[in-house]
Amino acid sequence: MKRPGVLAITVGFAAAAAGAWLGNSYYVFVIATLALTALVGVGLNVLVGLAGQVSFGHVGFYAMGAYAVAILTTSGKWSFWAALPAAGVIAAATGALLALPAVRVRGPYLAMVTIAFGFIVENAASEWKGLTGGQNGIMGIAQPFAERWIALFAIALAAVATVAFALLRDNRLGKAMLAVKDSETAAESIGIDPVRVKTVAFALSAGCAGIAGGVFAPLAGFVTPSTFAFSQSILFVLAVMIGGAGTVAGPLVGAAVVVLLPEALASLAEYRLLLFGVLLLGVLLAAPEGVVGTLDRLLGRRKPRCLEGTPAALGASSGLELEAERLGIVFGGVRAASGVSFRAPPGRITSLIGPNGAGKSTVLNLLGGFYRPQEGTVRLDRTSIGGLAAWRIARAGVARTYQTTQLFDSMSVAENVSLASPRGESERYLGFVGYRGELDAGAGSLAHVDKRLVEIARALAMQPSVLLLDEPAAGLSAADKRRLAALLKEIAAAGVAVVLVEHDMAMVMDISDSIVVLDAGVVVAYGPPQEIRTSPAVRNAYLGDGASRLAASRQDAAPGARLLETSGLRAAYGAEPVLQGVNCDVREREFVAVLGANGAGKSTLMRALAGLHRPVQGTIAFAGETLSALAAHEIVRRGIVLVPEGRQVFPELSVRENLELGAFACGGEAPAIESMLERFPRLRERLAQRAGLLSGGEQQMLAVARGLMGRPKLLMLDEPSLGLAPKVIQDLFATLDRLRSDAATILLVDQMAELALSLAERAYVLQAGQIVSQGSPAEVAAGAGIEQAYLGARA
Amino acid sequence: MGGIVMLKRIVLLVVVLAAALPAGAQETIKVGLVTALSGQSAQAGEAISRGLQTAIDELNAKGGILKGRKLELLRRDDEATPAKGVIAARELVFKEKVAVLFGGLDTPVSLAIVPLMNQEKIPFMGPWAAGTAITRNGANPNFAFRVSAVDELVDKAMLQYSLKTFNAKSCGMILVNNPWGESNEKGLTAALAAKGMKAAGVEKFEANDVDVVPQLSRLKAAGADCLFLVGNVGPSSQVVKSLDRMGWKPPIVSHWGPAGGRFTELAGPSARNVHFVQTYSFFGTQRPVGQKVLKALMAKYPDIKGPADVTPAVGVANAYDAMMLVALAIEKAGSTDGPAIREGFYKIDRYEGLIKTYEKPFSPQTHDALTENDYVWTQFIDNQIVPVGLKN
Amino acid sequence: MLASALLSGLGLGSMYGLLALGFYVTYSVSRTVNFSQGSSMMLGAVLAYTFVMRAGWPLVLAIAAALLLCALYGVVVERIAVRPFVKRRSEGWLMSTVAVGIIADNAVLFTFGKEPRGFSVPWTAASADVLGVHVSALQVAIPAVGLGAAAVLHAFSRRSRLGKAMRAVMQNPDAARLMGIDVSLAVAAAYAIASVFAGVAGVMIAPLFNVHSDMGTVFGLKAFAVAILGGITSAWGVVLAGLVFGAAESLITAFLGSSYTQILTFALVIVALAIRPDGLLGRAVVRKV
Repeated sequence: MKRPGVLAITVGFAAAAAGAWLGNSYYVFVIATLALTALVGVGLNVLVGLAGQVSFGHVGFYAMGAYAVAILTTSGKWSFWAALPAAGVIAAATGALLALPAVRVRGPYLAMVTIAFGFIVENAASEWKGLTGGQNGIMGIAQPFAERWIALFAIALAAVATVAFALLRDNRLGKAMLAVKDSETAAESIGIDPVRVKTVAFALSAGCAGIAGGVFAPLAGFVTPSTFAFSQSILFVLAVMIGGAGTVAGPLVGAAVVVLLPEALASLAEYRLLLFGVLLLGVLLAAPEGVVGTLDRLLGRRKPRCLEGTPAALGASSGLELEAERLGIVFGGVRAASGVSFRAPPGRITSLIGPNGAGKSTVLNLLGGFYRPQEGTVRLDRTSIGGLAAWRIARAGVARTYQTTQLFDSMSVAENVSLASPRGESERYLGFVGYRGELDAGAGSLAHVDKRLVEIARALAMQPSVLLLDEPAAGLSAADKRRLAALLKEIAAAGVAVVLVEHDMAMVMDISDSIVVLDAGVVVAYGPPQEIRTSPAVRNAYLGDGASRLAASRQDAAPGARLLETSGLRAAYGAEPVLQGVNCDVREREFVAVLGANGAGKSTLMRALAGLHRPVQGTIAFAGETLSALAAHEIVRRGIVLVPEGRQVFPELSVRENLELGAFACGGEAPAIESMLERFPRLRERLAQRAGLLSGGEQQMLAVARGLMGRPKLLMLDEPSLGLAPKVIQDLFATLDRLRSDAATILLVDQMAELALSLAERAYVLQAGQIVSQGSPAEVAAGAGIEQAYLGARA
Repeated sequence: MGGIVMLKRIVLLVVVLAAALPAGAQETIKVGLVTALSGQSAQAGEAISRGLQTAIDELNAKGGILKGRKLELLRRDDEATPAKGVIAARELVFKEKVAVLFGGLDTPVSLAIVPLMNQEKIPFMGPWAAGTAITRNGANPNFAFRVSAVDELVDKAMLQYSLKTFNAKSCGMILVNNPWGESNEKGLTAALAAKGMKAAGVEKFEANDVDVVPQLSRLKAAGADCLFLVGNVGPSSQVVKSLDRMGWKPPIVSHWGPAGGRFTELAGPSARNVHFVQTYSFFGTQRPVGQKVLKALMAKYPDIKGPADVTPAVGVANAYDAMMLVALAIEKAGSTDGPAIREGFYKIDRYEGLIKTYEKPFSPQTHDALTENDYVWTQFIDNQIVPVGLKN
Repeated sequence: MLASALLSGLGLGSMYGLLALGFYVTYSVSRTVNFSQGSSMMLGAVLAYTFVMRAGWPLVLAIAAALLLCALYGVVVERIAVRPFVKRRSEGWLMSTVAVGIIADNAVLFTFGKEPRGFSVPWTAASADVLGVHVSALQVAIPAVGLGAAAVLHAFSRRSRLGKAMRAVMQNPDAARLMGIDVSLAVAAAYAIASVFAGVAGVMIAPLFNVHSDMGTVFGLKAFAVAILGGITSAWGVVLAGLVFGAAESLITAFLGSSYTQILTFALVIVALAIRPDGLLGRAVVRKV
């Protein structure tokens, strides 16, 4: 909490207290209502702002608290001081109970569960007449002390809650809630049980609402069901969202808006709600992150705090062995993994490799408990951990990182790491992995390499026996990769069993003790690097074989004019640059290939050209027109069609419908479909089937056919061979070859370097977002870059 | 011409200023109204507003009360919830310092406000909400007065009427599920018990329910031969339409809800089967007061073209008489001091009002100006509310 | 009693389903909904009433005009209350659509009037006894129109160009862009359709109900419950859930009494979601990391 914020909040509470002390009974009542709304808001903020759950049923807890105090102090003859804590406990217990169904559902489903809860409470209050007095409620609730004092008491409660919230947010539990909000997956990977955390959040926030309701009852002197209508729940959520979810002062500001604004508009009588609606919309549009959130962003920055001194060493690990035993899992009829067995001994690096879609990440997910194995099991030091929840496996000593980093973006770097550490240390692990940036920087705004490092540091902070890493080198520069390789060796040396999924062959070959090669979910080779490097199965899986069989049969129509040209093309994901000034061109009737390692920026280049990735800097010119600012659907209409990575057919639509959609931009489906069916006879048999039921190869055919339906001037293909069997890849490339001989203009990105080069007339090699080599296929193939990029042969 | 108007205005201004000079004694007398002005009950809130405003305009045109002080109406929307009503009442009492506060149509809101009024010793006048406990609240001194029906009395009258007119043996209740419906459930059950009878069944329906067939089917199955209906005009019409769909035609004895709007338009031709209680109707021959008020309403509100547009008539009529009685009480008190006005109510001898001629309407024992003798049984014939039996 | 309760329950249920289909359409295409769907329903009824009863237009023309304006309203809601928030990755649309609903309801209150009005269409009064149950023409028409509208949506999404484009967007917005489909147009169309469906429900309900500014609030809320119960990404689930919800409401009222109706129906929703977190026919999404 920054000092001006603390000052502002203190002044706000002092002003409220002064108002309650000096004002007339109207102001006292309004201020008390404001304080109670703030109290509910602060509680709701625990749920919304910290745990990332929404509740449109908080009026139910508020009502429970109010009724509890009303009933206990009237017919129960309890003292207010006994009844109020009881109200809080009843509401909190109900909150925990509601969490049972609520934590199972997400998004709109969660909203509905809470709405339903609010309605049940409201209706129960009007139907359970013996207890609640029915529709006319309970009147004449005695005030334990004068109204002015109730107001001051309410202000005190709101202040205590605000301080408690600030403390909670900075404490382990609050951080665990934020972690669950940012990434449930990552939270589980550091041993946090999301169900428990969410349940606690529900209970705390319900408890606050219950206490607020408990004070409301004597303040108002009555409770009736209509006081606790659904609209009140909406006002509570509004208070949090207008103020700024997750901020300390947010609910206070929000409560002030939702309570004071209607009072300011009171003299408008019947027009009040109308104007309230208009102003509300205005505030939301002006400050979509909430008033406090927006102010926070506009105001102050923290003083940077960096690590100093030499990196610390990692403590010795307990040295347990991880063993996968005949692991298998099926997704929607597809065997993603089957009979996968290997061992990852302590102090060794065991790597999983294989072409894209081979099932590497799936196996990692099975090991880490993100997926529950349908066959086989996982053992840690001979104890079976297969099928346990991810957070239990994490606590047992298996830490992991993710293909796309899963940091807690709303927390700082130091918080990310210290949350995982049993002793709350962060600097030691950050120092060990070689992180040199700011400790208090928001994790969401880090550069790519730093995200990777922080994620590894976070995993190490768990003091794991086993570390699972999913493509940690993807997108790193050569220098960063070297540092990473050294780091992984050091981790293994400390006795950790390292399991690595990685595409960078040079690195894998260099640091692995043993390698598991997967293809189509099955282990095709398993052994030390030397063995794997020479294995024909591996070579086949990566490079394909017999590229030479494709005849260079193009009727050498000389390439025509320049069709596409980029200059200085730059693109980034957030703060992370992916393309760093790419200059390339494609001429009419030319077949151009773009090669490069995973994460070099090939797909991003395609997406930038197709208009899916915006904004970009630099220019994209096509047939004399600048496309850099156009959206994807506008670019398609100009004749650039992308067949995207992973095929992306519409699974629920039939093959025919998929084809028809291909011609969406230019029309004229029927004759074109016929010509596609001639080109791809397999599709004719499947015409009426749902595309999702086709095999991978058929889907790729369909994706190409769908692309051609748009009668492209330039056809772009992004990794068409991905995850296909070698025979199918042959067929696919034969098709591409025919297209080439039909004088189509094609830009191809494919990991099958040899095949791609065998078709292309010109090629570019992309590395770290820049073109490092270009020329004829022969020139490119002869250069050093290509081998290094694909197979990791040392230059 | 223009010059003369201008001159008149200047003279008026000088007179007003001169009158205002002696110690601000001539400032306006503020009266407050807290009722639902938005949402489902907006029309009812509007009716109360119109009744009060018409009376205030009339009084101000005569030069105001307490020797020339004008009356001013301040209205607040309670959105039909007690919590909002209580805040609004506090604002009017403590910030605006109203002399008298008028309540709205929701009994719980009034019940929530009355303790505050008793505590602050400022008179509360109910022109609509019929909950018995509003005026019989046990406080001494009691500052709550009312010119409206009282549920308990209406319920007795409803039972009486069903026995006499329809020779009912087994009555079923079909009540809107809100505090008003529940208050009448109590009243009707008590009235039946006093006669040694029991209801065939008690069914509730939501104000926004489209279909009431399931509830009515239960009553029919329970052997009801007459229905007691409590609900505003919209919900009441849903009951009538649902009965039509079932093809069931029991006699229906209703609280005054159907009078709140265009019942025939809403409920269709079967609307005339509903016999309901009324305190006032602008249809038929009007006494001079009625003629005067109707004329004033038509002049002030362009959407009022005839008696059918004065809806709900009870809201307008009750509010008009209530305001006039309040003005008399203030005159009798000779000041805007709350306790004095309260005493002033008791001193009113006779007022020739819209609903009736009031003779000593209030006493320390009676804070309700209307009694069961003031209820008329009416029905809708086409678009007119007429006393039962007058037309057929 | 069973037959008549079931009949009225299914009738209302089909209207809940119709409104809920609106939630389905916008959610599938854009992962957002208009929380004030009930206001669109109210607008349909209010506009049709105004054109027929006040302007004296022929019924068919009036309904067509009302639905057209509903579509326009849907587009406006998307523009001012949804798109600005989606662009900034904010969940603010949850609240802003509520605000727009408040504005719409109150604007109608002051323009249309505060009085509930009756909207009777000539043929609605016709009725007959079928198998011992008294049935009115409208009662037959309502589920017929409800299911008819669902069938029209089905045909629209399968046959028309825009419908197919919307289905493509539902399944994969990026791939849809690559087909030259303007995704923001598809989202706007989804909001228009949602609003029109609500409008149809409003016009159909109006003769059974009465027309006022507040008539859609409860309906909108129940329709949301229905959409969630069915699984908001499944059109058939939503329609089915509408019928289940409507039937449950009237059967509970008929056999247990009205005191329990709301408590039990909403409890049913919670229990159903606890057992099937993605609704009756909703499909779970495979999580990937």
